[in-house]
Amino acid sequence: MTTGPGRSRGEAQAEEGAGEILELPAASSSTAIALDELELVYAFIYARVGNRPDAEDLTQQVALKAIPRLRQGAPASAIRGYLFATARSVLGAFWSTRLGLSESELHEDLAMAIPAGPPSEEPAERARRVLEGLSDNYRRVLELRFLHGYSLKEVAAEMRSTVGAVKVMQLRALRAAAKVRLDA
Amino acid sequence: MPEGPENRVERIVSDLLRGKRLRLRGGDADEKEAITAAARLVAAGQGVQRMHPAFRKRMAQALETAPSGGWLTRRAALVAGLGVATGVAAGGLMGRAMEANPSSYVRRARTIRPSNGTWVDVGALADLADGQATRVSAGAVGAFLFRRGETVSAVSSICSDLPCELKWNQSNHVLDCPCHPASFTPSGAPTNQAYSLPSLDLVSVRVTDAGRVEVLGT
Repeated sequence: MTTGPGRSRGEAQAEEGAGEILELPAASSSTAIALDELELVYAFIYARVGNRPDAEDLTQQVALKAIPRLRQGAPASAIRGYLFATARSVLGAFWSTRLGLSESELHEDLAMAIPAGPPSEEPAERARRVLEGLSDNYRRVLELRFLHGYSLKEVAAEMRSTVGAVKVMQLRALRAAAKVRLDA
Repeated sequence: MPEGPENRVERIVSDLLRGKRLRLRGGDADEKEAITAAARLVAAGQGVQRMHPAFRKRMAQALETAPSGGWLTRRAALVAGLGVATGVAAGGLMGRAMEANPSSYVRRARTIRPSNGTWVDVGALADLADGQATRVSAGAVGAFLFRRGETVSAVSSICSDLPCELKWNQSNHVLDCPCHPASFTPSGAPTNQAYSLPSLDLVSVRVTDAGRVEVLGT
C-alpha cells in the first residue's frame, strides 16, 4: 500500500492502525516532523533558561546528540521520550557548568511530563502558582518586575520604596519563589 | 568593595529581561536558587516561546544535511500523531524512502585504559554471585562485574549515551539506564532496538591466583 499526496491524515492513521506499512516520507516532510518535535524541546528549554540565545544553543545540542541515535522504526513515544531525556541531560549539564547545581537539585525543575502536543501555557501557569505561594510584598515585586516588565525605579515608585530596598526585596522574593513546592 | 548578592542577581535579572543570555560570574552560584527562579519567571512572563524563524531555518538545513538524510519514519510519526499534517497537506510525500543506517552510528565497545592505571583489589571471587552483577569502584573507574564460573567480566557502570549511573535489573538480567529507556546486557550490548546506542565501555578485570578480583582503575 502506498500513501500519496492528497490523502488525509485521518485515512493514513486508520490504515496505520490496521498494521500496514506506510510509505516513508520525503526528506522535506521528515524535516518538518523533526522541527515540530524540536519546537517542543525548545519551549521546554526556554521555560527554564529564560532567554533565546541559551535556548537556541541548548536545543541545537539536543538535536545534534539525539537525532543521529534515533533508529528507523522506533516507537513514536520513544522518540519524543528520547528527545526529552536528552534535553534534561543537556539542561542538567548547562546548570551544572554555570552554577554548580547538582542533578538532585535540578530534579524538581526538570521533572516535567513529556508534552503530548503543542507548547502549552504550563510555564505561565506554574509561575502563577509559585507567585500565589508568596507573601503579598514578594508576589507584588516579582509580578511587577517579571510579568509586567517594570524597571526597578518603576517598581520602587509603585511600592513607595527605594531602588536599593526593591533590589533586596527582589532577591528575597526570588529565594522564596525557589522554595515554593508545587506538588504539595 | 565586593558586589552584594542583590546587585549580582539584579544584573542577571536585567540581562534576562533584555533577552540576553545568562552570564554568570564567580559568586553567582551562591544565589543559584534565585537565579533559576528568575529565569523561569522571565520565561513565564514572555509566554510560550517558539523557535525564531532564522534559527528554525538553520535547524532545518542541519537536519536536511544530517547523515542518512532523515531520522523519523512516517509510520512512527503517524503513531505519535505528531505534526505531520502540514507536510502531508503540502503534498510533501514524494515517496523517497529514507533508510537510516543505524549501524553506521554504533560504536564498538572500547576498553577503558586509564593512563597510569593500577590494578585495584575489589574483593574475593567467592563473594561474587554467579550470573549476578556486582557494582565496584576502582578509583575513578566504576564497573559492574559478572561472574561466570571461574571467570569474571566487567563493563562500565556509566551509560554509553547519557552520563548516568546504570542500575542492575535483577528480574531481566540487564543494566538499566535511569535517564532514558535504554538497557544493556552483561556483555555491554544495548538491548533497545529503538536507539542505535553504543555498547558499554569494557573494564579490564583479572582474578589472581589467590582468588582475588582486581580491576584496572586509577
